[in-house]
Amino acid sequence: MRLIDRVAHHNRWRRRHPIEKLVLALGMLILDLVLPPYPAGPIIAAIMLAAAIGGAGVPAVAYLRLLLAPVGFVLAGAAAVMVGVAGEPGLGWHFVLLPSGRIIALKLVLRALTAIASLNFLILTTPVENLLPLFRRWRVPGAVVDLIMVTYRFLFVFSDTLEAMRTAQDIRLGYSGWRRTYRSLAMLTAAFLGRVLDRARRLEMGLAARGYRGDLPVLVDEGRPSWPVMGGILALQLATAFLSLHLSR
Amino acid sequence: MHIMEGYLPIEHCVAWTVAAAPFVAAGARSISRRMEENPRVKLLLGVTAAFTFTLSALKLPSVTGSSSHPTGIGLGAVIFGPGAMTVIGLIVLLFQALLLAHGGISTLGANTFSMAIVGPWVSYGIYRLARRAGLSLGPALFFAAALGDLATYVTTSVQLALAFPDPARGVVGAMLKFMGIFAITQVPLAASEGFLTVLVMNQLIAYSRPELRDLGIVTKTETGGIAE
Repeated sequence: MRLIDRVAHHNRWRRRHPIEKLVLALGMLILDLVLPPYPAGPIIAAIMLAAAIGGAGVPAVAYLRLLLAPVGFVLAGAAAVMVGVAGEPGLGWHFVLLPSGRIIALKLVLRALTAIASLNFLILTTPVENLLPLFRRWRVPGAVVDLIMVTYRFLFVFSDTLEAMRTAQDIRLGYSGWRRTYRSLAMLTAAFLGRVLDRARRLEMGLAARGYRGDLPVLVDEGRPSWPVMGGILALQLATAFLSLHLSR
Repeated sequence: MHIMEGYLPIEHCVAWTVAAAPFVAAGARSISRRMEENPRVKLLLGVTAAFTFTLSALKLPSVTGSSSHPTGIGLGAVIFGPGAMTVIGLIVLLFQALLLAHGGISTLGANTFSMAIVGPWVSYGIYRLARRAGLSLGPALFFAAALGDLATYVTTSVQLALAFPDPARGVVGAMLKFMGIFAITQVPLAASEGFLTVLVMNQLIAYSRPELRDLGIVTKTETGGIAE
């Protein structure tokens, strides 16, 4: 998470208009879902990899680490799709490998990894706060956008706090054995909630002292998207769709 | 029970998003109203969403050796109400998809439906029913959190079954299969979540009464349940 934040703020495309990066990433995500996973998957993944590492200068290690982190979940999900049930309900129910299961699972893994590769490009080149003005322009209710902003600002602070609290419990043997683990987790959650609420109250006081009436205006550095770049992205996506359909025939 | 990025066909992604939209809109309206009444609510709900996200990093041990994280959905639905929890859940899911590759953007609609709509409403409904039936706070919370969890996992099974029907037994067969697979981890987890929710509430009552009273101010309707 911290890695994402660091890379998102320090890459060559950080100053590019967020809509360009959003259209590239989400467009490819949609293509990944509608085109046949092979050969579209590898093509899209290669483009996104090239864009992130070659274009934006995202460190290859960071990109690959994020891509491989959810592989366990992807494989577990694919395994569940691969099997079916056989036998009468109640009497000797068992799982069997479906004849078509292996292909479906393979396609699924390809599709999921490609989708993650597209999304990783977006999140590694674009800090979350740069996306918020877009939400506002798309008429997402202001209350929700503000909520997203407040949430994002607190994520990092809170994970530090929680980590410190958990470590404190752990070095006092708070997580040795089941009973203690549950007790510690309950104490941790409750104490953490207390802190969190306290934090909200202090923030509210600080804001109230500065004339807070419910609005949280922030200055955003809003450029304009470059039309040649947008055109290039759409052309690239059309070419990807065309090439994949052509190759799959 | 997050459905991973890229796991649902695009028609399903769209359909679940459309199904989730009215609930999200209603939730957004309800929190907007509350924010207008009291500007503090914005910060309070914001920290709650961050809190829920951070908590999802905690691992909960489970019988089968697998582990999962507490969702806090049951607790949140009882304290903040199901409408607010829908919006909070959506924001948490968004950040989980973006920052943790847990869930996904294309499956955000489906995950919102199972985790941020079905979960909170079932938890809240059970809690109210249980309290009306005269159950005390502890058992009511236990059932609310545990059954909310189970309802979420049944919903996820249905979503996956619709996307991947069993070739021989169709959607129903696939649903039973997914439920069977998930039951191994999810049934004990639902019980742990219920158990943990009760323990957390006990801790809160013991050490954070003022905060609970504060929350009672925020959600007037829930005061009766909490101020015991």
